[in-house]
Amino acid sequence: MSWIERLFSRTRLEIDLDKELRFHFESQVADKVRSGIPESESRRLTRLEFGGLEQIKEDCRERRGTLWLESIVHDVRYAVRLLLRSPGFTITCVLILAIGVGATTAIFSLVNAVLLRPLPFAQPDRLIWVSQQDHSLPGVAPESLSYPDYFDWRAQNHTLEGIASYVNGTATMELQGQSQRLQAESVSSNLFRVLGVAPALGRDFSWEDEKPGNRVVMLSYAFWQSQFAADPAIAGKAITMDGHTYTVAGVMPKAFEFPIGNPAPVLWKSIAEDAEGKSPTTQERGFDVLGVIARLRPGVTVEQAKADLSLIAAKLAGQYPDNNKQYTSALVEPELTHMIGDTRPALRMLFGAVSMVLLLVCANVAGLLLARGSRRGAEFALRSAIGASRAAIIRQLLLESLLLSFCGGAAGIALAFGLIPVMLKLMPVEIPRVEHASIDGGVLIFVLVVSIVTGLLFGAFPAWRLSRTAPASALRESGRSMSGGRAQHRLHNGLVVTQTAIGMVLLIGAGLLMRSFVRILDVQPGFDPRHVVTTRIAVPFEGATHNQHYLFYQQLVERIAALPGVQSASAGWPLPMSSSSATVNFNIQGRPVAKGDEPSESLGLAMPGFFETMKIPLIAGRPFGAQDGLTGQPTIIVNQAFAKKYFPNQNPIGQHIQVRAGDDIFEHPVREVVGVVGDIKHKGLTTDFDPQYYLPYAQALITNPDVVVRTNEDPVAMQTAIGAAARDLDKRVPVYRASTLEEYLYQSAAQPRFQAFLLSCFAVIALVLAAIGLYGLLSYMVVQRTLEIGLRMALGAQRVDVLRMIAQRGLMLSLVGVGVGIAVSAVLTRLISGMLFEVRPTDPVIYAGTAALLLVVSVAASSAPALRAARLDPMQTLREQ
Amino acid sequence: MKTEARFDLPQGTLDLLIMRVVTLGPIHGYAIAQRIQQMSREALQVQQGSLYPALHRLEYKKFLAARWQPTETGREAKFYELTARGRTYLKAETENWKRLTDVVGLVLKGTVEGVL
Repeated sequence: MSWIERLFSRTRLEIDLDKELRFHFESQVADKVRSGIPESESRRLTRLEFGGLEQIKEDCRERRGTLWLESIVHDVRYAVRLLLRSPGFTITCVLILAIGVGATTAIFSLVNAVLLRPLPFAQPDRLIWVSQQDHSLPGVAPESLSYPDYFDWRAQNHTLEGIASYVNGTATMELQGQSQRLQAESVSSNLFRVLGVAPALGRDFSWEDEKPGNRVVMLSYAFWQSQFAADPAIAGKAITMDGHTYTVAGVMPKAFEFPIGNPAPVLWKSIAEDAEGKSPTTQERGFDVLGVIARLRPGVTVEQAKADLSLIAAKLAGQYPDNNKQYTSALVEPELTHMIGDTRPALRMLFGAVSMVLLLVCANVAGLLLARGSRRGAEFALRSAIGASRAAIIRQLLLESLLLSFCGGAAGIALAFGLIPVMLKLMPVEIPRVEHASIDGGVLIFVLVVSIVTGLLFGAFPAWRLSRTAPASALRESGRSMSGGRAQHRLHNGLVVTQTAIGMVLLIGAGLLMRSFVRILDVQPGFDPRHVVTTRIAVPFEGATHNQHYLFYQQLVERIAALPGVQSASAGWPLPMSSSSATVNFNIQGRPVAKGDEPSESLGLAMPGFFETMKIPLIAGRPFGAQDGLTGQPTIIVNQAFAKKYFPNQNPIGQHIQVRAGDDIFEHPVREVVGVVGDIKHKGLTTDFDPQYYLPYAQALITNPDVVVRTNEDPVAMQTAIGAAARDLDKRVPVYRASTLEEYLYQSAAQPRFQAFLLSCFAVIALVLAAIGLYGLLSYMVVQRTLEIGLRMALGAQRVDVLRMIAQRGLMLSLVGVGVGIAVSAVLTRLISGMLFEVRPTDPVIYAGTAALLLVVSVAASSAPALRAARLDPMQTLREQ
Repeated sequence: MKTEARFDLPQGTLDLLIMRVVTLGPIHGYAIAQRIQQMSREALQVQQGSLYPALHRLEYKKFLAARWQPTETGREAKFYELTARGRTYLKAETENWKRLTDVVGLVLKGTVEGVL
């Protein structure tokens, strides 16, 4: 029988034991009666001979080895009773712990979802992200592969089981009577095999599907359910997208998602369409757009794969210098590491901050336990006087604190359940996998461990301290409010200093991030984002001449400009902060370079009126106008940074630049610089002003531009009006991504806003808890020293003196805490310097402001107990004590 | 009341005595105490306070097995039996005991003759 079974069958054992001893007793009585002694006398004698029946039973139980367990059960029961007897104290502790554990759990569930969970593919540790290094740039500069590069890497490597390509794109499809723009990923036919995921329905792609004419698609589960009514016979059926017929190969399993992140593709196309046409992209070595994922052969390391692929890259660089000259080596990383790369410092910072909150919570509860414990001195003294060992008392106290921390943990889980959705709502969307954050088994184990560790942490000091009470003195003093001695005071002071210091660190961290965030918002982006509504329209390039395509936009912009309330309207690409961009090679006339050595900068497209609508200032020359049309002189406009970099001592106007964009359309016309415009923040408010050049949209129909409309009208109404105008021109075109420039800007600052917001929440919690801790200590001190204060006042001390005595103590402790906090912050804030924008980690304003705030709060926290002490009636105090 | 000299049992010997008595067949606690008393010619009287904890420890260590069955008077009593493990243990311990008493006897005899 195991000990646990024995514990449960305890009642049966007890009955048996009782029956066995009773049998012995009765037999003994019977023997005595038989030898002639009267029954009552026999019973009396036997009872004498037996001695303590309970003692015998206890000995038997002890021999069976269940005693320790029973006494723990007993201790737990005692602890529960004790905590129930002081519900105020218990609820306070549990609430404080719940805040600490809840916040920690919520953040951990994010860390767990993003960083810790393995990728949802077969043997995910063998999946790697593959790219090539651009050696013309400093540091690590990954450059995507082109199809010909990818095919060569696929054919020539010796270390990979499979290597697959993917590139995001869109497809237009007629759904429920309306043209819809869908996220469609173009993938090499082996992608699903490399990931190790088979379709739930139908067949996988095959090598044949990469050949021209074999257009096939794989549907996502959700898309199949919503748009095809989960048709079980979908495989092999034909669907129409972008005016072409595709065969449905199959449907992927429900949970399948690739690439992981937003926006998730609803279908995957084979690369057959890229292989079609007269100059297919699958043959363009300069078309560097592919994402590549590969699976290592068993036993091959990331380093070996890197060496293997670098050899191929070097060979290709020699073979094709025009396109590959600077790409002489490969970049390889485990897929998961690559995916979560950028998010790691932020999550680490949040987890560090929340751990500090938890530590502060521990110190706070430890202070509460210590204060309460010293009121229980008599109880412990009595227990140890009647034989309880120190270990038994420590065990009792630790059990109480563990019980508290488990209750706190349970309440914390409930709190985390509520917190996670709120955090996800505030969360910037760029963090991959974060939307899967939930309280799963791993998180529950984490909570369990955290509860045990916090319980031991905040319980250990008080338990160790209180169990040292000498029984005799404690019993003697117990009639009065008993003082725990100097050492206990020192411990309690230490706890308050710790809390203040942690509060200080968190406040400084939050202050720095806040200030940095404000600095970001102060940045002038170079355009005026207010009152600009934007939207995109997917006009198909195929089946329309350039003339028709451009005419559509010309008419659309004219119609929108005529709408009431519209100040100006135009179109351009890419919109700042939209995370779209293109970098294209060019050369400046009169400065001949080899084709592989050409500089490249960001390319922009603009319709007439774009700069005016965006309020991007014109510095020199003229903006684009009607003369920069399809048949006009090829022109180009550069920004100030471009002019400064490439024409430092020359007038850029009138210079000639040849851009290699729109290869299919134009024979790389030599363009004349007709204007210089102001710089704009393109990738984010915290990045530098990058050199950029703009082509007239009519002369470079590369991609659909974003429509921009400056208006004071309500954005939603305006977006509807734009959509109506577009459909009025052509009812087949899908209208999507309706937004405002301010929204783009808001999104670009989402990450620092989220970090500053969350850290501020933690800092506020820390400040409140630190204040409670200080208030608790001083109140307790006043109670403990009532007699002393009474005596002092009886001997002539003024109320002001008493007030000062208590307040001084509070201020002293806070000052020490603030000092320690500043020292620790000076070290720790260096870790977040990468997240700060134009704020030094030792910003004196923040440090001074935080110190002042903390001191004000601690004076406030000290005032109530100090006043209470000053109001004591000396006579009454002395009588009571 | 009995007046004969009684012995304090050395540590561990009670276990041996109990197991020895139990070898004779299934037997309940009261009878074990009686039996030890008889076999030691009233010199050893086992107290309930030592007997039952010892019995429970031996049962816990699986040297004894117990089951409930009626006695000749019809009452239910807990009967103890030696297990195979207990038998081996008893055999080894009995030999140890014999060797120990022989050796102790030898030494004491020498001392008595040599010194006194």
